[in-house]
Amino acid sequence: MSTLRERSPASYALAGPAALWMLGALVAPTAFIVWVSLWATRSFSLANALTVANYTKFFARAAYVRVLGDTIQQAALMMAITGVLGYGIAYFLMVHVRSPVLRFGLFFVLVVPFWTSALIRTIAWIPFLGVGGVINQALLFLHVVDQPVEAFLYSRAGITLAQVSFYTLLTTGPIVYTLRNIPPSLREAAQCLKATPARVFWRITLPLTLPGIVIGQILVFLNVMADFATAQAIGGHKYAFLGNLVILLYESGQLPFAAVIAVLLMASMLAGVVVLLKAVDIRRLGAP
Amino acid sequence: MPASAEPDLELKDVTKRFASFVAVRNVSLTVERGRFVCLLGPSGCGKTTTLRIIAGLEEADGGEIRIAGVRVNDTPPWQRDIAMMFQDFALFPHMTVARQVGFGLEMLGQPREEIRRRVAETLATFEIGALADRKPDTLSGGQKQRVALARALITRPRVLLLDEPIGSLDFSLREAVMLELKDVQRRIGISFVWVTHDQNEAFSIGDRVVVMNHARIEQVGTPEDIFERPRTRFVAGFIQGNNVFDGIVEGGDGPVVYVRTPVGSFAVPGRDAALPPWGKPVSLSVRATLLTERPGAEHANRIAATCHAVEYLGSIRRYDFRLDDERSLKVEQFGGHAARIREGERVTLGWRAEDGVLHAPPEEAG
Repeated sequence: MSTLRERSPASYALAGPAALWMLGALVAPTAFIVWVSLWATRSFSLANALTVANYTKFFARAAYVRVLGDTIQQAALMMAITGVLGYGIAYFLMVHVRSPVLRFGLFFVLVVPFWTSALIRTIAWIPFLGVGGVINQALLFLHVVDQPVEAFLYSRAGITLAQVSFYTLLTTGPIVYTLRNIPPSLREAAQCLKATPARVFWRITLPLTLPGIVIGQILVFLNVMADFATAQAIGGHKYAFLGNLVILLYESGQLPFAAVIAVLLMASMLAGVVVLLKAVDIRRLGAP
Repeated sequence: MPASAEPDLELKDVTKRFASFVAVRNVSLTVERGRFVCLLGPSGCGKTTTLRIIAGLEEADGGEIRIAGVRVNDTPPWQRDIAMMFQDFALFPHMTVARQVGFGLEMLGQPREEIRRRVAETLATFEIGALADRKPDTLSGGQKQRVALARALITRPRVLLLDEPIGSLDFSLREAVMLELKDVQRRIGISFVWVTHDQNEAFSIGDRVVVMNHARIEQVGTPEDIFERPRTRFVAGFIQGNNVFDGIVEGGDGPVVYVRTPVGSFAVPGRDAALPPWGKPVSLSVRATLLTERPGAEHANRIAATCHAVEYLGSIRRYDFRLDDERSLKVEQFGGHAARIREGERVTLGWRAEDGVLHAPPEEAG
């Protein structure tokens, strides 16, 4: 029996392969993108002069800045919706469903759609949201509306609806895990100490699940920030987030400018994660 | 202040089912003011469920629960005049000791100044003032136990419910903690209802011991009652140091009943004036300490047995005898007074008729 000491040669040797992999697959490409974003011309050349002109150009264009704002706004909206919805689902599963079999069954139903590829899941929303789609037919049948609603497909609402269905599970999962780590006796002890169920929730359950909430929020934030497929398939070409902009510029050969947006996207993701991690110590995840 | 007449706690015919499983069946129990009551029984006997019903954490399907004379069947836990200590202590991991102990008062809406004063006072009482700013994960088992007790008692409940409160402590700590809890209970004068599966714990701490089995109460009494006069065959078998015999009634003579068993006929005092009918199946028990290997004229009951094993425990010597039907017979003798019996030796043991206990017939299920 021996324990691995921090900063010993053995620990470095063990961390080596993973570090090399991260260097090749993450650090080098990221550095490369940053480098490209500073090119003065569009063409690939090691002799390219470096400039921040591409960045000034981005912030000079109101339309681009608005896309950045829209992207962050969409991420914030999604974090709010999936946060509340995901918490509700997790709480229901872990606290209200007493039978482990039923709990597993319900969780299973939640997970099943994720067995298909993200592309198919996205496309599947089109016949659902369209003018002749399932939602409209149902609303017409129930006489809730007289004419099909066009606002579902090719709209921000449609994108949001689809994203909620894709990303809610990302918030539910970590919260289920943290809820499971709270012994039921804590809630019971609080009740015996004169706390009403609402106060048990606010004072005991919610604070103890914060690490799970934050992890879910980070996952949703990162996914929504990087999501271009949903906006493309369900938003038509009417809506663009930063990811769509990267593709657009890349396809039109404006590599440095695409790189600028990629860098800004990464920077805002990093900033968001830092803020969230500052808020809660996720190392306490799993501690009861 | 004159004590009000109402008992701290009354259960009347309380029943609880989980699906088809009956966890608590017709349990009736009265806890007079300031009593220390132990619910004792094997795991799954319904003792913890009974405690949880009193707390309001489980709903009774039938019967009545009264706390201080008031029916509380439909009162949620946060409005009952009780406190509860859990086996795992259930300390809130995100709160400091001071915050934790003040939680109950905070929930009752006490002013902040009052909470601060009473928390300080309570921490001092339980000698945990130095831990005020610590979080539970930095506390030892004994410290956690004190914090849990302080937290439970700060609201001055009428009854404190304790679910195996020392079960998770180190063995070496248990004795001291037990005595301390008993001391606290005497000092503050509220009732403690203490659930345990450990009979030594129950006997050394309880004023009243309630023995439960299969969702029912088998016997309620002082430790002496239960030790010396087990009411049912279950109690006699559950309490260590009893020899239990099954047989049938074969006669009676005044207060004495004669019972024929596969290993002999024994005289035992009747339970009441009425003689049980001849041929009725009954059981009786006698304590291992009341058997002698040198029976005299007063030892009406005799039994032949072979010494199988001897255990020397310092102040007592414990023998395991084998009867003719290969069943075991336990005998305990004090100190060096008794002559030593060697393994393999065959002796005649005896006990006085009045030392045996005839059990009540088992209650019909349902």
